[in-house]
Amino acid sequence: MTTEDVKKVKDKEVRKQVVIPLLQHIGTVCEPIVDKKTIVLIGQKIGEGDDEFSVPVHSSTAGHVVAIEERPHPICGSVPSVVIESDETDNTIEFKTSKNPSKEYIISALKDSGVVELNGYSLYNMLTSEKIIDTVLINLSFSGDVSSNCAPENIASIIEGMNLLIKASDAQQGVFIIQKNDKQLKSAIESGLFEEADIEIFTVEQNYSPSMANLLTYEITGMQIPNTCTPLDAGLLLSSAGSALAVRKAVLEGIPQITVNVTVTGAVHNPGVKNVGIGTSIKEVIDSCGGYSGEPGKIIMNGIFSGIALSSDEVPVIKSTCHIIVQSSDEVLHEIPGPCIQCARCVDVCPVNILPGRIASFADMGMHDECFKLHVNSCVECGLCVYVCPSSRHILQLIRYSKTVLQQLLKYEDETSSYGCLSCETPCLASTPYISNGGIL
Amino acid sequence: MKLTVSHPSHIREGVTIKTIMWSKVAILAFISLLAVGMYATSSITLGLSALALVLVSVLAAVLTEAGIQKLTNQELTIKDGDAVLIGLIIALLLPPEDIKLWIPVVGAFFAVALVKHGFGGLGSTLFNPAIAAWVFMNMSWGMLTGSEYVSHLGSASYNILFLGSYSDIIIESGAVRFAEISSVFLIIGGLYLIYKKYIDWRIPLLYLSSTIIVAVIIGEELSYVITGMLFLGVFILAPDPTTSPITKNGRIIYGLLCGIMTVIYGYLTYNYVVAVLYTVFFANAVAPFIEKNTYPKPVNEVQS
Ligand code: SF4
Ligand code: SF4
Repeated sequence: MTTEDVKKVKDKEVRKQVVIPLLQHIGTVCEPIVDKKTIVLIGQKIGEGDDEFSVPVHSSTAGHVVAIEERPHPICGSVPSVVIESDETDNTIEFKTSKNPSKEYIISALKDSGVVELNGYSLYNMLTSEKIIDTVLINLSFSGDVSSNCAPENIASIIEGMNLLIKASDAQQGVFIIQKNDKQLKSAIESGLFEEADIEIFTVEQNYSPSMANLLTYEITGMQIPNTCTPLDAGLLLSSAGSALAVRKAVLEGIPQITVNVTVTGAVHNPGVKNVGIGTSIKEVIDSCGGYSGEPGKIIMNGIFSGIALSSDEVPVIKSTCHIIVQSSDEVLHEIPGPCIQCARCVDVCPVNILPGRIASFADMGMHDECFKLHVNSCVECGLCVYVCPSSRHILQLIRYSKTVLQQLLKYEDETSSYGCLSCETPCLASTPYISNGGIL
Repeated sequence: MKLTVSHPSHIREGVTIKTIMWSKVAILAFISLLAVGMYATSSITLGLSALALVLVSVLAAVLTEAGIQKLTNQELTIKDGDAVLIGLIIALLLPPEDIKLWIPVVGAFFAVALVKHGFGGLGSTLFNPAIAAWVFMNMSWGMLTGSEYVSHLGSASYNILFLGSYSDIIIESGAVRFAEISSVFLIIGGLYLIYKKYIDWRIPLLYLSSTIIVAVIIGEELSYVITGMLFLGVFILAPDPTTSPITKNGRIIYGLLCGIMTVIYGYLTYNYVVAVLYTVFFANAVAPFIEKNTYPKPVNEVQS
């Protein structure tokens, strides 16, 4: 058996029962369009919403629906989910391939395939909003995404995905954003790019997670986008490697987003990259990596600095999962926060130049108006301030708390008007429900 | 299987309050030991009284902290090293010769009980406790704390005499205070702290450079200005985390202010040693004001 075969067998082992949440995007929960006992095929649409902010979900396995009920979700507590028991076959629906798609075809293919960015925004909504897109950015500086999706054999597909996005959005140019010390990736992309004149490469210093979108675009274009708007409002379509791959698959091969590449690192026996179906439980993914080595203490999704610690390993992999980190129980931090000693280490590392420790102290005391004055909403939730704090203060937690409270207050104060700088008059994606969890979904 | 759920980030850099405090303590303890040794070479009694000064002062600070936290049912935080640091700095600021040992005890009690815990404990102090205690001791028993040279009634000629001979006594055993024993080790220690990012570079750099520049501008002899106490101020006292501004620009202004004030005070009183302490005391008082006026402007903040 070649490694490829082993991988395929492994993939099959990984699917036994899948739990597909009907909410994997920012927006409204989908309505299930299958019933209990329905036989579904791989790629069949199982959930759909009728308003513009919902993104369809598809089955990642062939089998029959055993339940439609609330199940734990990695981010949103518990969410209505479709539970499908696999029948161990590979029966798929008929995928519609396309050789040279037109703009309209690409957009409709994206609508049907439910491609979602790492931060939960739907690509279809971004492309069909009334904003004029002049640049497509693909962020290859987020380490989790890069390690999962930027294997050498995927580079050509990523570039194809970029071209499709440029075509769909009528953009003038495309830019790949690569971390400076990632020379290998840079040369791989460069050699793949020999004929595309309108695609450039831009190198950045930092690791930009999806929640740091506005900061990233600031570094690249020098344009300041307020925290209440998205890069889209400035004519920039920010995507990621995983989405570029998904776009290519959806448009050229007609396969909806039913699998994701996930890097598993940390306290497991065989860390590595796995291609897993949406809805597979994290436990099965980890088992396919040889299982836990030692007693697991914490499972983190999408990045050690700003990722989410999962409450259980029974939660499913969703479209925005790209990195799973397992910490063994002795690696887990058990620190008791002390008082803020005003050492300003957090101020020195904050990429958006606010006063994290001070804001956290005000949030702790419930003085959210002070937090607002100190620009709490500018925080991009990178987690660096917590990383350096000598007192182990729960800075980011308090900042998120304050953001949530402020958002509720704002909503309460004025239900009708949108908030932000209001320089854009057309309705913008930023007024979709904002979930304060690192922007990841 | 028990999984921990917590907010990000899920790893830490590994710098804690303890590491910061204890590395400062280590540097100062080394300097105190050096001083005790030097005093002992000149006279055993002087050496012993120097050793007693350090021990009594540290012990008094630690016991005060423990007592207060016991009485008010707080968690004991002696291990974080802050009380030890306060005691040590107080010892460094006092002259060991003919010292009455009740002075550091009262000073340490004042520092820990009133200036530290009276204002809310670690992280909430307005003034650096050790400096505030020194100011208090100096005001109350100026003759006994070896600072008669700053007394406004003291004769100017005496001060100049003292400072003039200071450059020869720096390596000798005659330094009035511990802190003046070894500039070299204070500089090495300070650079280590900056290298380890235990203190920020802005305040030390601007304090030191502005002191030298202003001194040169007004034509002051640099050997008067640059004392061991200045380095203690530059690397330990002024960048004290709690009492310095937290904003980046605020720290720059704070450093400049310290430098300028030190030279002005020293120039007017002919005593650059005490100038450092009063300057930092003054700068502590205006730090919140500096901070208020230097709040940074966030990236991506659009003025409407
Ligand atoms: S998480 Fe902390 S360091 Fe990062 S942007 Fe927010 S406040 Fe600044
Ligand atoms: S790093 Fe921690 S202790 Fe230091 S100022 Fe920030 S919140 Fe306070």
